Amino acid sequence: MTSDQLASWLASISIAAPALLATVFCVSSLVSTRLSERTTARLTELCVVTGLVTAFGVLVIMLWTGSRHVVVELGNWAAVHDAIEHDDYHFHFKFVFDRLSVPFVLLTYVLVGTVGAFGSRYLHRERGFHRFFAQYGLFLLGMVMAALAGTVETLFFGWELVGLSSALLVGYFHDRPAPVRNAQRVWSVYRFADAAFLVAAVAMHQCAGGGDFSAMMGEGAWPYGHASIEPGAALAIGLLLLTAAAGKSGLLPFSEWVPRAMEGPTPSSAIFYGALSVHLGAYLLLRVSPLLESSHLLQVAVVTLGLASAVYGAVVARAQTDIKTAIAFASVTQVGLITAEIGLGLRYLALVHLVGHACLRTLQLLRAPSLLDDRRTIEDALGGRLVNQVDATELSPFRRWLYRFSLNRGSLDAWIDRLVVNPFISLFATARDAEERWLDCLRRDTPPKPAAPVPTTPVAEAEVA
Amino acid sequence: MAATRDSIEATIEHLAHLLPSQGPITVFVHHNTLHALENLPFSEAVFVGADLYDCHPFLPEDAYRREFERGRITADDLERELHASFDQEGDTLIACLGTRHDLWMSMLAHPLREGRPAEVRWFIEETEALYRFRAEAAVSDRGHCIADARRWLVRDFVNGDAANHPMSAAIQSAIEGIGSGKFETWTAEDWEAFTLHLLWATCRHGAELSELPAEGADGRRRDPSAAAADELVDSVLIRFCSAFLDQGYANWDLPQRVAGLFESFRTSFLYARPVERWLHPLPGLVAEEASPTGSIRRSLAALGVPAAEQEAFLQAELLKLRGWAGMIWQMETNAEWTARPAPRGSLVEYVAVRLLLLRLAREATESERAPALQPMARDDSPRTNLAFQAFQIAQIRGWSPVELLRLTPVEWRLLMSEIAAFPSRRRRQFYHEAYERHYREAALKALRRSCLASERAGMQKPPAYQTVFCIDDREESFRRHLEEVDPEGETLGSAGFFGVAMYYRGLGESQFRPLCPVNVKPQHDVIEAPAYSAAASNRRRATARKAMGQTAYRVTQGSRSFLGGMLTAVAGAVAAAPLVFCVLFPRMAARLRHRVGQIVTIKQTEICIEAGEAGSGLRGYTIPQMADIVNGLLVSSGLGGRLSDLVVIFGHGSSSLNNPHAAAYDCGACGGGRGGPNARAFAQMANDARVRAELAQRGVQIPPTCSFVGAYHNTCNDSVEYYDLDNLPAVKRPLLERLMASVEVARRRDAHERCRRFESADLSLTADAALKHVEGRSEDLSQVRSECGHATNAMCLVGRRNWSRGLYLDRRAFLTSYDPRLDDENHSVLARILGAVIPVCGGINLEYYFSRVDNKGYGCGTKLPHNVTSLLGVMDGAGSDLRTGLPWQMVEIHEPIRLLFVIETMPQAMLKIMDDSPAIHQLVTGNWVQVATIEPATGQIQVFRNGRFEPFDGAPADLPVVADSTSWWRGQRDHLGFALVETDRRPRVVAGAVR
Repeated sequence: MTSDQLASWLASISIAAPALLATVFCVSSLVSTRLSERTTARLTELCVVTGLVTAFGVLVIMLWTGSRHVVVELGNWAAVHDAIEHDDYHFHFKFVFDRLSVPFVLLTYVLVGTVGAFGSRYLHRERGFHRFFAQYGLFLLGMVMAALAGTVETLFFGWELVGLSSALLVGYFHDRPAPVRNAQRVWSVYRFADAAFLVAAVAMHQCAGGGDFSAMMGEGAWPYGHASIEPGAALAIGLLLLTAAAGKSGLLPFSEWVPRAMEGPTPSSAIFYGALSVHLGAYLLLRVSPLLESSHLLQVAVVTLGLASAVYGAVVARAQTDIKTAIAFASVTQVGLITAEIGLGLRYLALVHLVGHACLRTLQLLRAPSLLDDRRTIEDALGGRLVNQVDATELSPFRRWLYRFSLNRGSLDAWIDRLVVNPFISLFATARDAEERWLDCLRRDTPPKPAAPVPTTPVAEAEVA
Repeated sequence: MAATRDSIEATIEHLAHLLPSQGPITVFVHHNTLHALENLPFSEAVFVGADLYDCHPFLPEDAYRREFERGRITADDLERELHASFDQEGDTLIACLGTRHDLWMSMLAHPLREGRPAEVRWFIEETEALYRFRAEAAVSDRGHCIADARRWLVRDFVNGDAANHPMSAAIQSAIEGIGSGKFETWTAEDWEAFTLHLLWATCRHGAELSELPAEGADGRRRDPSAAAADELVDSVLIRFCSAFLDQGYANWDLPQRVAGLFESFRTSFLYARPVERWLHPLPGLVAEEASPTGSIRRSLAALGVPAAEQEAFLQAELLKLRGWAGMIWQMETNAEWTARPAPRGSLVEYVAVRLLLLRLAREATESERAPALQPMARDDSPRTNLAFQAFQIAQIRGWSPVELLRLTPVEWRLLMSEIAAFPSRRRRQFYHEAYERHYREAALKALRRSCLASERAGMQKPPAYQTVFCIDDREESFRRHLEEVDPEGETLGSAGFFGVAMYYRGLGESQFRPLCPVNVKPQHDVIEAPAYSAAASNRRRATARKAMGQTAYRVTQGSRSFLGGMLTAVAGAVAAAPLVFCVLFPRMAARLRHRVGQIVTIKQTEICIEAGEAGSGLRGYTIPQMADIVNGLLVSSGLGGRLSDLVVIFGHGSSSLNNPHAAAYDCGACGGGRGGPNARAFAQMANDARVRAELAQRGVQIPPTCSFVGAYHNTCNDSVEYYDLDNLPAVKRPLLERLMASVEVARRRDAHERCRRFESADLSLTADAALKHVEGRSEDLSQVRSECGHATNAMCLVGRRNWSRGLYLDRRAFLTSYDPRLDDENHSVLARILGAVIPVCGGINLEYYFSRVDNKGYGCGTKLPHNVTSLLGVMDGAGSDLRTGLPWQMVEIHEPIRLLFVIETMPQAMLKIMDDSPAIHQLVTGNWVQVATIEPATGQIQVFRNGRFEPFDGAPADLPVVADSTSWWRGQRDHLGFALVETDRRPRVVAGAVR
């Protein structure tokens, strides 16, 4: 067996392992068989270790042979032909191991595996243990697919799985209203981002004739590709992708979903919102970074959005009084910086930053309940109480405004409600009224019926929140 | 005008007693969750509390019924509870269908389904309810009912009754719906179906005749538009309260925080331009309001609350975010030791702010959403449910539908009112009483047997050594194992601060913390200092510690800032190492941590307890004060006059990781602190020659051969640490070594016994493996059940150990030593002991009770989403009410029953102590605790019921006898019954023989 074949075998296993895990967990839930906690933990361990080892094996082979590009093709899953036997559209599953995806997939396996081991003890005897692990399996599969995706469709597929499982885990405690409401909010932001992504994907097909990243970015392996799209189209597609990334990564103006996501159990908060999910937007931008280079305007937009989010996160984190929210905004800051680095073209720095940040946040979030203990240890070592010395009595109006901004987290969600959600609802309410009137007009002859109660739409719910 | 203002302040401060009284979570004090209602008897208070806090008074009915099915509650227990509550009325005949006793018993003995009309209808239509009898219905009854119904249909109904029967339409349609619609062709199953259809029709008919609307099932009901308004208010208020109360977590302080809650709220919003539409009027509103009370009055007027309803309204508003409101109240009244207490009057200001926001929220929700939220009209008639209950009872009792058809309207009304008079809440109360009765009787019978056994054993030799433990229920097993391993040793129990109430600061700690019960204010300061010879090396290590602390602080802070965060994040991949290591290999990581810890701390320390010893400003103990403390323990524990050569005092505490509730596992008698230093200080006092001389002058002799040693037992990892062994005379070393060897065995067995409760520990573990397991638990970041805490506590024994020694109590009993022979005739020693033990142990027990029966309402829910906020407590997720009480993981295996005190004294003495102490009186006569007295010589037990002591007539139980407790628990996870452990019959094995 040649080293190429070996690499592609290992690569396939590394993708198949999480797929197997997700399938087993989901199918067993579907047919109502309960795997024991121990079996669940063992299976998770097995799949994650297999995935990790094989992905590492691919890396070793790549280093050994100097290859920079290992591809796993699953072929076209759907193809539409036009009259002249020419591929017009194809749905193509393809996975690529390169300098970008290998570190990211290794990071995914290490962090998800650690959190799996943590979760199997942390959630012991919890009623939703199996639900957690079913969603965990989906999340892992989604992350691996998104990380290794070689076509935009594959990436979207993984992206959706990640979004779905994350939103479900925010609403993990669905017997209380707050988690469900927050999960819905997170989900609607995700859907917005997804919509932008989907439009971008369609546009990419239009421009490049296919969803392969290599088709768009040129044949060079990451990061040496060059986009073959003209700047105008690149700007349009790039802005759409930037919107998608902003939604997924909690950049402005969507940042407020990140603390909302802290409703789930601690390990899921750690892995999804502290570490991986929140970086997926940045990863998307990294993946299409050759595209960004083809339009200066786009680069400026990325850098601006990144820096603005970073400043926003740093300011807002100052006034937060609970540890999980503080960590959430600290994450927003760093993801903003990573985005800015991508915009500046510092791809390797961004990748290193991303990996380091994900590890650090996971550790911090998993240790979040230790806050009181840690603080005491530090106070003991320093020999006194840690209380801010800043006298906050006499503050300039600007500082007061800044504090209020920080405490209210910039009222981002309120702005979104005011500028987007409410007009949207009133538009539809007007339409509904018009329809009612029209219907009334039509049934003038028939005896009046009591009007059916209007179901409250999800958006209306969100408005209250 | 002034009068109204004062009255509003007074009202709010009066209402504050209804708020949870849990303070900052770092000092966790167990107390009765319904402390505010303690002036009521328990049986009333649980219902009042349930309505007030929207919580459950008892476990759900299903839970009790499961206990019934597995025999934890027996039919006999239920019968006796019914007898006890009925007197004569139990024999009342209900409409010729049986006595009230029978009726209620049948409602208790079998599950009764109930629900809203829609649920009942669904059940009737979608299940086999109208086709098959319930499984509990006796076969003979079924046959009789079916035959009856068949006869009636063929003979009476068809031949004339049909025309003028009130239910003929229902019956006709039932006939048509079954089989082919012709009863001549019906099979046996069809007849069964017809009988049940007829029964259901009859019961519905009967329910229509009944007058009273039955009470609905308890449930959490809220008006949707009010709930929407509250949601808006809470979203602002939670954020604001946490900023106001923050103890220094956030980098920025709330502006004007020191000026009070109202003022800082005003300044925050005065110049603001809120984005949310409902908050738009707020800046204008706060500009007008200058004083909180004035604002409350204006808000009450604006909200249209009439004067008569003001108090009720304020109470409801106060209880809405009761975690935060309670914390504000605690911080203003009871937290001068914290970094930032709240100024007086903060709660009133909180109410002012809440009402201001509520005004705006009400306006917004009422104008915007009024039409959309019209609740759909629903048939909420309770009659359907009543009919359904009668339908089920009729099957259980074997009433045939024909029998019921003959009931007159008066009889129907009587029957239905009887059924309605025994709703779920009442039934749960009966179940609960029976649940407690079962344990109480088993326990008392076992104690009678144990008394007999101790009488047989007769006089014992003087013990080789004595050990004193905390009264904590977790030490029960440890003491039992120590006694089993070395039967010549004696164990005693005394409140775990051993009379040494002090502010203590350990070496390398920055703050003093009180180590004594919460109701005691310490007057003394004790510090731990490096031993003289180690002082120089300590200075170096302190510098290193400080440097490490500073680095840790900068990294944590920096990782949240802009540029610092960037640096830490770029190097953050390094964090993967501790992350993976701590999660996957917790014990190894812990060992590494201890290694590093050892570099910067020293082992050789001493404590400075004496006045003037530690230098300026510290209030130490004088010799007479020390003598008081030593004498206090000798008398109260019954050690006085019979001291052996070695007395070891064991304080206790618990260590766990990643656990905001860690303090709840520590020693309750030390106010949620670790009792090691108390034991150490006590031993140092008792060893002091000057103290002994002082005592000798008072006529209390401590033999010169007697030495005291302080020790510390960690209840989480079962480690034991001894203090100041260098000071022990060399001749005592063999004795000490013998004790230490026994402790080594005992702690392994203790770990083993505890592991049977952990599902993640195999039942087949050896004792050594069990010890490793519990060590791993205490060092595991992901472990949410580091130990079980006080869960399963059920009993508290006060008296000499000899009558309970050898009885397997399953870690469920607090054990307090008390020797009535050393007491005076006023029982002042007992009064002092009970004055501490009843409120403390009762408080622990009741907190577990309430957190268990309604974990979401009274407890703080599952630990998984907890989020430490303001360094004061935990929220669920990123913005909820502050959660008080105990988490589910702590109470999961607890059996919620009231604590049973068994006190070695005479009933008259107990009554006198109750008369003298209002606190004890209230708890005992209000039945918040159960009390019995015992006379070990005769085995006489008197139980306090209905305001007086009544003799307990149960015969001594026939208990299984086992050679050691290991063989009794081996292989079992659940609560275990009592057993006698007869070590004395075995050859004595001292050390090395771990099973």
